[in-house]
Amino acid sequence: MSDVTTTEPDDGPAPVFGLLAEYKTTADLIHASKRVRDAGFRDWDTYTPFPVHGIEKAMGIKMTVLPWIVFGAGFTGFCTAVWLQWWTNAIDYPWIISGKPFWSIPANVPVMFELTVLFSAITALLSMLLLNGLPLPSHPLDLSARFAKSTDDRFFLLIQTSDPKFDAEDTRTLLDSTSPLALEDVLEDRVTSDKLPTGVVYGLIIAVAASLVPFALFASARESKGPTPRLQAVGDMDWQAKFKSQRHNPFFADGRSERLPPPGTIAFGELRDDDHFFRGKENGIWARTFPPAFEISSQKMERGRERFGIYCSPCHGLVGRGDGMINKRVESLQTGRDSWVQPTNLIQDHLRQQPVGQLFNTITNGIRNMPAYGAQIEAEDRWAILLYLRALQKSRSAQLASLTDAERGSLQ
Amino acid sequence: MAKIKETSKGKSQDKGASSAKSKSSSTGGGSGKSSASGGGSGSSSGGGSSAASAGDGNIRLGAAGEKLMKTAGGIGAVCLGAAFALGFGKDDHLQHFLHSYLVAFMWGLAICLGGLWWVTLQHLVNAHWSIVVRRIGELIASAMPMIAVLSLPIVLSVLMGNAALFPWVDHEVVKANHVLEHRSPYLNTTFFLIRCLFYFGFWTLLARFWFKRSTAQDSAAKPDFGKSLQGISAPSMIVIVLTLTFCAIDFMMSLDKLFFSTIWGVYYFACCVLCFHAALALSLMWLQKNKRLVDMVTIEHYHDVGKMMFAFTIFWSYIAFSQFMLIWYANIPEETAWFKPRFENDWKLVSAALLFGKFAIPFLGLMSRQVKRNPKLLGFWAVWVLAINYIDMYWLIMPQLDPANPPFSLLDVLCWVGVAGAVIATVAFNAKNVNLVPTKDPRLPKSLAFENI
Repeated sequence: MSDVTTTEPDDGPAPVFGLLAEYKTTADLIHASKRVRDAGFRDWDTYTPFPVHGIEKAMGIKMTVLPWIVFGAGFTGFCTAVWLQWWTNAIDYPWIISGKPFWSIPANVPVMFELTVLFSAITALLSMLLLNGLPLPSHPLDLSARFAKSTDDRFFLLIQTSDPKFDAEDTRTLLDSTSPLALEDVLEDRVTSDKLPTGVVYGLIIAVAASLVPFALFASARESKGPTPRLQAVGDMDWQAKFKSQRHNPFFADGRSERLPPPGTIAFGELRDDDHFFRGKENGIWARTFPPAFEISSQKMERGRERFGIYCSPCHGLVGRGDGMINKRVESLQTGRDSWVQPTNLIQDHLRQQPVGQLFNTITNGIRNMPAYGAQIEAEDRWAILLYLRALQKSRSAQLASLTDAERGSLQ
Repeated sequence: MAKIKETSKGKSQDKGASSAKSKSSSTGGGSGKSSASGGGSGSSSGGGSSAASAGDGNIRLGAAGEKLMKTAGGIGAVCLGAAFALGFGKDDHLQHFLHSYLVAFMWGLAICLGGLWWVTLQHLVNAHWSIVVRRIGELIASAMPMIAVLSLPIVLSVLMGNAALFPWVDHEVVKANHVLEHRSPYLNTTFFLIRCLFYFGFWTLLARFWFKRSTAQDSAAKPDFGKSLQGISAPSMIVIVLTLTFCAIDFMMSLDKLFFSTIWGVYYFACCVLCFHAALALSLMWLQKNKRLVDMVTIEHYHDVGKMMFAFTIFWSYIAFSQFMLIWYANIPEETAWFKPRFENDWKLVSAALLFGKFAIPFLGLMSRQVKRNPKLLGFWAVWVLAINYIDMYWLIMPQLDPANPPFSLLDVLCWVGVAGAVIATVAFNAKNVNLVPTKDPRLPKSLAFENI
């Protein structure tokens, strides 16, 4: 493309673009290349159907600068990743994630790696194209019928007239002495237009315009206000073939979409008919003993200690005095202490004497500020916690007599 | 120095060499017909005869090998003897000795096992470039019987019920630790012995097999392997990788009562490949300095070895960081406990040495093509890689002995030099009566003429 000055097809004789030599073997080509290289030419190239070993050396092509460009790009990508993560995580929006520092390098390494590779790869591709002068839509050689064999079984060498050393006769003599199959003048391209085909131009314009449509839609959806959503990109997700709760359903006589299970239905494992075990009551009053279904053992005690440590100790403290970590934290604060209610001391007398069934109910359903734990802790574990709590209470009191016989028995 | 001269010579002979090559290209992309034109051996007529024409002195170790065997063997024996004496002299030194010895042993094993893997890989992919250096790889892998012998102090200590290295040897410890109890069907003395027999037996036999087949080729009527070895190398490769993984788990991971990492074997594999290629590069340099393989192994082969060292530097970093990051992120005590001592006190300096010495510095240092094509620089990095891999083994094993600070001692040096000496002497012994190059391999001319694009 380089030297085409006219854009319109021209009637006059086209100037010579270069001198083309054709060779039968790679050996001939390499030999000729060395001759041309040693003659000091600049604007010349060879064309082969496949990569030829040693042709770079024979042509005197220097090592490409590409590695350095890629290295620079990779380093830039690395620095970008470091900066991006440092700025977003530690400066612009500091946010503690799973107790890690705001800016923690190990978490950032994958992104550093990715951006290094991404920048390197894209730069390598684009720089390669740039350094090779690609894309090259047309070339004067395309008009040479002979040159078509360069994709088959012939090897070509072209010296351009633009080379300062080019001389119509001397250059021809030089190439002649390298025993080519043929030598021919390649003329400037006066046939192919420099302009892009009209179809391609309009196609590009339409493609660019079309690519802006989604962004325009996004922008309008963000800016406009109204009761209905603007975009229904995935209809199947927005209008699903099902009845939602609290909606009308014409199929049933009562018109409800929610259905109750048939009377008497009990889900698997949800029977819970043991009033003592699941609700802490015996004949309607708080049970004073552990339920028979709960087998008292040292394993249960150990389990209770563990569960107590997990669920109860943050507020009530490890020995149940109501001095857990949360309470300590509140006390260390300057403000907000007035509205704080200290968690109950579980060791105090009235709780020591409270029926175990009532304590069970407190764990299950919560009391005052304390939330319900029935959904989080299995009934078996709630009893284990109570077992441990009773042991705690006992260990903090010398008054054995204040305990009932049953409790005393359960603690042995 | 010899290498640099060689390259300049190669340049001046460029005309002849490339014209010969181009002939081969013209006959269809360089099929088997190309004449050997590697460096100075010039234009001989086809086949592997060019190698033979260089004379026996070029491809036989001869007196230099004898000398190397005696020197290395002597130094190795003295060092190992001294280490044993120190270790068994006092009861409280035994544990230290066993740990130091294990570090050196795993380092030596990495070199030989890397060699075995590499030779198998060359057969598996029917590689052409490596034919001229293949025998060196086979010789390094053939030190495997010595490795098996060197494993005896460790294996015997387990058999005698000494829990100085592995906590799972002690029944009382196992009983008190439910994790070890859970692992006891695998981690017990009997099964450990069976596994060791299988590991070292398999490796020795395979290394022997490659070596024998290869040397038989030198005098065979039909030296072409065809596809026969390719078929064997595929299943062998699977077994190598599995045995390597389990061996790394047995000998290093099980030093800790609790720790487990599923990427452990891959980590050690990366060390093996690094160690082997460094050892290969240094072996070739030593041989060429002693006027062996002159004009046969060219800068192109060094370049490829350098590429492997660079690639596996990155691979190791990727694996090592993957292991660390997942454990760091999940922050589960049974895993982080293994890293904690390594990031405290003076151990954190060793960790930093690995981060920079095994990744950052060699990554930048080995990146350039010019470095890989400069024998002196490549030699420097080969020594570096071998040294840093020893430090890596030290970092993996030694905190189990002293979690507080690195317990550097004379034992470390004695064991390291001892194992290195024993391995080198074995390689030299095996190299005594064989060609250093598979002269009759029909692919040799291609290997001699090999050129990086």
